[in-house]
Amino acid sequence: MKIKGFLKDVGGASRVTKARLAAFEKASPLPEKTDPVAEVAHAWHPGPIELRVAEIRTASKTAKTVRFVRTDGEKLPFFYAGQFISLGFMLDGKLICRPYSISSAPYEARQDNSYVEITVRRSKGDGLIADYVNDELKAGDVLVGTMGLGQFYYEPLRDAKHIVALAGGVGITPFASMAKEIAHGTLDADLTILYGSVSSDDIVLKEELDRIQSDRVQIVHVLSGDEPDWKGERGFLSADLIRKYSREDSSYFICGPQVMYRFLRGEIEKLNVPRRRVRFEVFGQAKDVSSLPGYPAEMKDRVFEMTVMRGLQKDVIPARADESIVTACERAGIVLLTDCRSGECGFCRTKVLSGSYFVSPENDGRRAADKDFNYVHACATYPLSDLTVKIPIE
Amino acid sequence: MKFYKDHYDVIVIGGALAGLSSALMLADKGLDVLVLERHNLPGGIATSFVRGGIEIEASLHEMMSIGEKDNRLKVGKFLDDMGVDIDWLKVPEAYHASLPGIEITMHPGFETYAREVDSVVPGSYDKVLKVLNLCHTVFDSVNELSIHPMSKPMMLLKHEAFVKTAGYSTKEVLDSFDLPQKARDLLSCYWIYVGTGFEELPFTIFSVLMADYVGYGSFIPHKLSHEMSLKMAERAEEMGVQIEYRQHVEKILVRDGKVYGVRTARGDEIMSDYVISAAYPNKVYTSMIEPLSEVPPQAIKMVNGRRVSLTAFSVILILDKEAEELGIKDYSIFHGTTMDTDEIYRNFKGLGPYKYTTCICHNLGNPDATPPGTCSFSITVLPQVDAWKEVKAEDYDRIKHEIAKQLIDEMSEYLGVDLLDHVLEIVIETPVTVSHYTGMWNGSIYGYAHTMEDHIVARLQTAEAEKFIEGLEFAGAHQISGDGMGPAVTNGRKAAKNVLDDIRKKKEAAAK
Repeated sequence: MKIKGFLKDVGGASRVTKARLAAFEKASPLPEKTDPVAEVAHAWHPGPIELRVAEIRTASKTAKTVRFVRTDGEKLPFFYAGQFISLGFMLDGKLICRPYSISSAPYEARQDNSYVEITVRRSKGDGLIADYVNDELKAGDVLVGTMGLGQFYYEPLRDAKHIVALAGGVGITPFASMAKEIAHGTLDADLTILYGSVSSDDIVLKEELDRIQSDRVQIVHVLSGDEPDWKGERGFLSADLIRKYSREDSSYFICGPQVMYRFLRGEIEKLNVPRRRVRFEVFGQAKDVSSLPGYPAEMKDRVFEMTVMRGLQKDVIPARADESIVTACERAGIVLLTDCRSGECGFCRTKVLSGSYFVSPENDGRRAADKDFNYVHACATYPLSDLTVKIPIE
Repeated sequence: MKFYKDHYDVIVIGGALAGLSSALMLADKGLDVLVLERHNLPGGIATSFVRGGIEIEASLHEMMSIGEKDNRLKVGKFLDDMGVDIDWLKVPEAYHASLPGIEITMHPGFETYAREVDSVVPGSYDKVLKVLNLCHTVFDSVNELSIHPMSKPMMLLKHEAFVKTAGYSTKEVLDSFDLPQKARDLLSCYWIYVGTGFEELPFTIFSVLMADYVGYGSFIPHKLSHEMSLKMAERAEEMGVQIEYRQHVEKILVRDGKVYGVRTARGDEIMSDYVISAAYPNKVYTSMIEPLSEVPPQAIKMVNGRRVSLTAFSVILILDKEAEELGIKDYSIFHGTTMDTDEIYRNFKGLGPYKYTTCICHNLGNPDATPPGTCSFSITVLPQVDAWKEVKAEDYDRIKHEIAKQLIDEMSEYLGVDLLDHVLEIVIETPVTVSHYTGMWNGSIYGYAHTMEDHIVARLQTAEAEKFIEGLEFAGAHQISGDGMGPAVTNGRKAAKNVLDDIRKKKEAAAK
């Protein structure tokens, strides 16, 4: 095209309009519904799925493993070893959600006989759901679950090829999933699990784990209790012990009870490894909110009125200062869904329209702009006055 | 339990930038608006998320059409006018170009930019400035004509350059300037923000792109794009808009050629006179209209006759050193092994290795982006949607990691530091991620390709004839202004304007 020709041309607009209409005229009149990208998204993240308890078996003296299959006969979704499932339990007609690390392996979700398993230990205190799972849940029961959640998994572009897993109690479950996936040849990493228990009776999934030991998966049981016949490691997961099982470049994955985290933060510090090599799983709701730094202890026994807005619907319910907004809703039979239940993932993002509240500083996963506009993660937020909140319609 | 009113004037499907812009404008005119968003927060991909205690920008590179506070461009002005007060930070440079034989950081301002091109290609200053001035003239015309349409003779009189370049591709017009190759390469870098090779890209679009970014610079919200999305949503609610999150609209209800409401996944049927859809026309016309018999064949031919454009693949790294320590010097880096946009466009049809990447180091535009001792660095390519249609669920994770690895290795080599030795957090966003969170058709974020057969000028001319269902409007990258977060706002305003015009026309007709 010559510059002169183009400067004289005033018919461009009509020409491109004709071209457009011609293209439409030529096009097929048959609807093309294909959105294969959405199908992949759905295979990984189908949203809530209905699950049936296929079997329950003993995982230790105090824990049980529950196997779920899909009620629609489909395969369970893809997920990464170490991720969790959020399960909705109907108790007295009220829906209560709990996250559980998946103890089965990803390949087991995708094989012909597709299933997913969780392993739950009976609680020592107020473990409403943990006890329900151990005592009342039975084969044939139907629940709704959302899975493939959380960030606690081996990422080859970030983590060292050798993982040192530091597990306490039922915190063994994500590592059980990883171990099985490695043993199956579908996860390319080496895993050394240092598993701390009080006594050998407390060890969860012992037989299953011992069975899959190999040159890539090593399980080291560490007992803190007094057990004269024990021939293995003793004591706590100390820096010295961790160092003994580390390689030149290892990533440290930590999952266990809150007290263990506090101890291990100190021990990890002593190892002097880069921050990017250390990953903690979220640990759930604080057992006792009044022990959290910054919580006004004098408030802890107060009960407030919480107005809950769902669209135009308005309900007023009691809300205890020492229980999260989510717990108040669950007690009142108002559905407020959660995923991580640790303040991190933001699934239960809720707007506080009025009133004051406390957010647990140990797991405040909020976005900066959300803080400015009083959006909170309801699972880790506690009322300190009468409150009005707006939650999604479920 | 009653969650909704019996009736709304307008229901907006999708609470991202386009839908929220529609809602703001309609509420400003006193209409009763309901926004239904499937995710649990506003913004669509204009959002952020927290990993390991660090908030991470999901997608925004830089906003166009904002402008300085005392000289706002149309998007900045609209947000100001609506009372959406965003803490804008100006991006310090235009971009760093890393191309065969070229390493230079370019800055906004036409003369500055032309001088910088001249420093690489001595003697090119005048020609480059001429191109930029032409772009600016066309840009001004587009802005004016989008608000005040006029007759063709009038257009020719007042908007000559616009009229005369309308029929030509970017390649054709740039060819006519006979620029040295390297000067042309430098002028080509921003192409990725509109995403069609220059053989096909209307010069009109190139003009808007260059005039806006080079002429006025770009901006980012201080608290990431979530600040922008959230402030728009909050302001809309203040103005009386009802926004409900986690509400997935499955059906748009139509009777006798006219919209009368929507149905959500949880089964709520909500009535309204108008529906503005952020869902792609492809999805609306093939699965959302109820009954589908209300969809005329021309609507199907229209969506089949258009090419769904690009999607995005991003690797976002939170690194355990500050940008300077890693040799990252610029907010935005365009890195290409070629700058032939048509060759790159063809290359984007596959799953890599890719020939052109765009990288952002947020900390260099926003010192508060991540905590001290860390920085955020994202590497993005924009593959064509077709490439990802072939990816199977069982191969998804492997392919995702292979591409991510390739991108990280390439930028590591460029920076001279192995980024993999510094990864605190890594997030790989793919078309599947986009699909999962937003439901966008095949994970596309760029709407329909800007081509000579789908030209913005033609889009404006035929818009009226492409309304197939009364009361149904669309707002999103699939609309006239196309992709980008700035254009999203413009697209949303246009949908609202269509609704307002229609209401006015009906009132006038009723008065007669």
